[in-house]
Amino acid sequence: MKDFINVSPLTLLELSSNKELGRGNLGVLMSRAGVGKTACLIHIAFDKLFSNQKLVHVSLDDTPDKVTSYYNVIFSHLVKALDIKDEIEKRMLFERNRMILAYMHQSFEIKRLRENLKTLVEKLDFAPDCLIVDGLDFEAADKETLQGFKGVAEEFNVEIWFSALTHRHITDKNERGIPYPCSRVDDMFSMIIQLNSTQTGIFLELLKDHDNPVKPDASVRLDPNTFLVTP
Amino acid sequence: MAEDIQRLRNIGISAHIDSGKTTLTERILYYTKKIFAVHEVKGKDGVGATMDSMELERERGITISSAATFCEWKNHRINIIDTPGHVDFTIEVERSLRVLDGSILVLCAVGGVQSQTITVDRQMNRYKVPRVAFINKCDRSGADPIKVNEQLRARLNHKTALMQLPIGLEGDLSGIIDLVTMKAIYFDGPYGEDIRIEDIPQNLIDNAKSYREELLDTASMFSDELMEAILEDKVNEELIYSAIRQGALSRKLIPVFLGSAYKNIGVQPLLDGVLKYLPSPVDIKNTALDMDQDHKEVEVSSEANAPMLALAFKLEVTPYGQLTYLRIYQGTIKKGDDLINSRDRKKIKVGRLARMHADKMEDITGASAGDIIALFGVDCFSGDTFTDGALRYSFTSMFVPEPVISLSVTPKDNKSEMNMAKALNRFVREDPTFHSHVDHESGETIISGMGELHLDIYVERMKREFAAEVETGAPQVSYREAVSAKAEFNYIHKKQTGGSGQYGRVAGFMEPSETGAYEFVNAIKGGVIPTEYIPSIDKGFQSCLKKGRLIGFPVLGMKMTINDGQYHSVDSSDMAFLQTAIGAFNQAYAKAKPIILEPIMKVSVECPSEFQGNVMGSINQRRGIIISCTEDGVFTTIDSEVPLAEMFGYATNLRSNTQGKAEFTMEFSRYSKVPESIAEELKKTLAEGARKGKK
Repeated sequence: MKDFINVSPLTLLELSSNKELGRGNLGVLMSRAGVGKTACLIHIAFDKLFSNQKLVHVSLDDTPDKVTSYYNVIFSHLVKALDIKDEIEKRMLFERNRMILAYMHQSFEIKRLRENLKTLVEKLDFAPDCLIVDGLDFEAADKETLQGFKGVAEEFNVEIWFSALTHRHITDKNERGIPYPCSRVDDMFSMIIQLNSTQTGIFLELLKDHDNPVKPDASVRLDPNTFLVTP
Repeated sequence: MAEDIQRLRNIGISAHIDSGKTTLTERILYYTKKIFAVHEVKGKDGVGATMDSMELERERGITISSAATFCEWKNHRINIIDTPGHVDFTIEVERSLRVLDGSILVLCAVGGVQSQTITVDRQMNRYKVPRVAFINKCDRSGADPIKVNEQLRARLNHKTALMQLPIGLEGDLSGIIDLVTMKAIYFDGPYGEDIRIEDIPQNLIDNAKSYREELLDTASMFSDELMEAILEDKVNEELIYSAIRQGALSRKLIPVFLGSAYKNIGVQPLLDGVLKYLPSPVDIKNTALDMDQDHKEVEVSSEANAPMLALAFKLEVTPYGQLTYLRIYQGTIKKGDDLINSRDRKKIKVGRLARMHADKMEDITGASAGDIIALFGVDCFSGDTFTDGALRYSFTSMFVPEPVISLSVTPKDNKSEMNMAKALNRFVREDPTFHSHVDHESGETIISGMGELHLDIYVERMKREFAAEVETGAPQVSYREAVSAKAEFNYIHKKQTGGSGQYGRVAGFMEPSETGAYEFVNAIKGGVIPTEYIPSIDKGFQSCLKKGRLIGFPVLGMKMTINDGQYHSVDSSDMAFLQTAIGAFNQAYAKAKPIILEPIMKVSVECPSEFQGNVMGSINQRRGIIISCTEDGVFTTIDSEVPLAEMFGYATNLRSNTQGKAEFTMEFSRYSKVPESIAEELKKTLAEGARKGKK
């Protein structure tokens, strides 16, 4: 197997000051619809899973079946792209280290997430290192909700990655260069990255790097088929 | 005979256990005048619902075996197969779906989409069955049909068209609003047989208009004509019916009806919906395999004057003898006809033909394409194809899962021994997931099936229907063996005991097969073993797979390659090379690091969210792996994978952990390696059991 860590989209963080999001912190991946937000988010998940970290995928929209099929499709692409020989072992590794928590029909509450994580730790001895939160409506999400997530990140000592949908027709940015809808709540995030599709390719760009200025050209080019970093 | 096939519907009624499908069937039979009184499941009158024909089913209030029945509604003929809800009997569901053209998916307005609904839905997808949904029990406390419709969209990923709205809910349910005709429908009379149509109550008009808009939006995706009519404000009922029918037949849309079968509300409009939106046999593309063209898939015509083709999808013992349920796909069957069984080419004569109505029957003289009928006294297996001899076709064999659990049965006396043999012979023919064999070492009769309840039902049936009193052993998991490494063999079989001797040498290697199935590779060069002996070597290897050398269970996923050997012009024979292969297998097996595999079950538990922790703990204690946890309102569904060996007694454990408020379903997922520590223990236990068996 070629080294996934060297071609994972999270290689971008090598260009950041701390080289990681860090436990207790929130990060967000922003992208327009159809660019590959979910695929990129799941690559972030695989980055953690292949490093033998425990991960909880929180889905606020999709059923576990759908989430599982996203992982399976991306894994099968990775098997081909990275020439993974020990496919069965790798699959067992990520299935054992991944837990899907789905909240259907507005069932989600921070309180429930906290209780569920507690159950995982206490009953299953499954202490996560990272949370992936997919499907949070950033236009409707208030600061209180994000503060709740921040509390969860600190209490369970995990880093949390979100996905956020941007719109083609809303080009507003705040004074720090963060696009809508995260522009209203960017202080809640330690890292903000954006997936952009341009005529020359797909790029993952660092927009916020903790409290440090973002280095110029802090972006990586991704293969549009595999979402792996390409020269 | 010249009845219009387009006015025929073959439908199933499938759902989660206890969602009220047997009550619904009972009402359908009542309104179609097939029965003249209504009896409830577990009813106080002691009669039981008509479709639960077996005594055991009546007693338990559940439907175990599918019973076929025939009825007529508005000049259409409808064949209904009532199917069991418990996952242990899913072969019944699978069989009925194979021969049906459409289905009613029944859901409970309180429980909504449950894990069993998902299983049944998956099965319907596998057999490409178009369906309509019926949200039943809208009279129950906590009923929320709108939420259930949302669950159909979210959890089953279906596009749905809500055809009706309830008038009142729970105890106040009094009728339904038809969103196509925009009329209120009430059901009067002791059993709701008198339909009264009125204007929609004033307070519900706005809501009805809004849902009708949504219905039109959905329906217009399947018809440009309707889309144009909407834009020009020229919508009529026929356009809506036609658009929804197109959506339903293409399986891209599920029309959703609602009501309460128990309170006699909404059943007749559902029947209208079956006629409008479910396909007739001509609307469905069916295929068979042409044995004369190397099993090429060919389309079946559904013409009554085409050569006859029929599938035996269910066998049943009745007081009159063996009853074979047949679906005729093309052509016609008449009393006195000769039929050929495609499996063994045996000819049978059609004696008595009947249409079944639960456990009663109606004699008929003939039936044609699309029909579901029963034949008497035909000796065959479930899944056999019958033709009139003009075609050599066979229907694709139905998907049959392997049994995962076994137990020994011992007759209590001589009479029971004979009766048990009769019963087992019958059950094996009826149910392809039920297996029976005699263990040569212990002499015990072993029965195998899909779960504890599955085998439990057969043991009860032995007692009740065949007067066979039996004692059962502890349930035993069906383990498997596999090799995990490559190992070479080079074996000489030499025997000289007077007369012509036996000689053979075979060399090569065994290894895990990549496909998971048995593979035999002949890499012999230069004729060191003559071609005529190669099949015997293959046969010898295959005979070894039936009983592995580690714990005596079948061996899976083995690849055998032979690349060298030797023969003797006088002493070599088929028998000698068969024995050589067995010796070679034994020589290499231990070196190939054999491992034990155990069945892993997909277990889905639904419980009120407050018990989530207890349920997760209980799965974890059983070596289970939690895959996901889904919260929906106050309910949580926990999906996991658990070794079957750890699942015995789980129902009791779950009840006590959740105050009886949780339920679970279980189905076979795959075989997986038993952990080393447990494998060692298992080897000891099985060896001890085998020793006791020999004594």
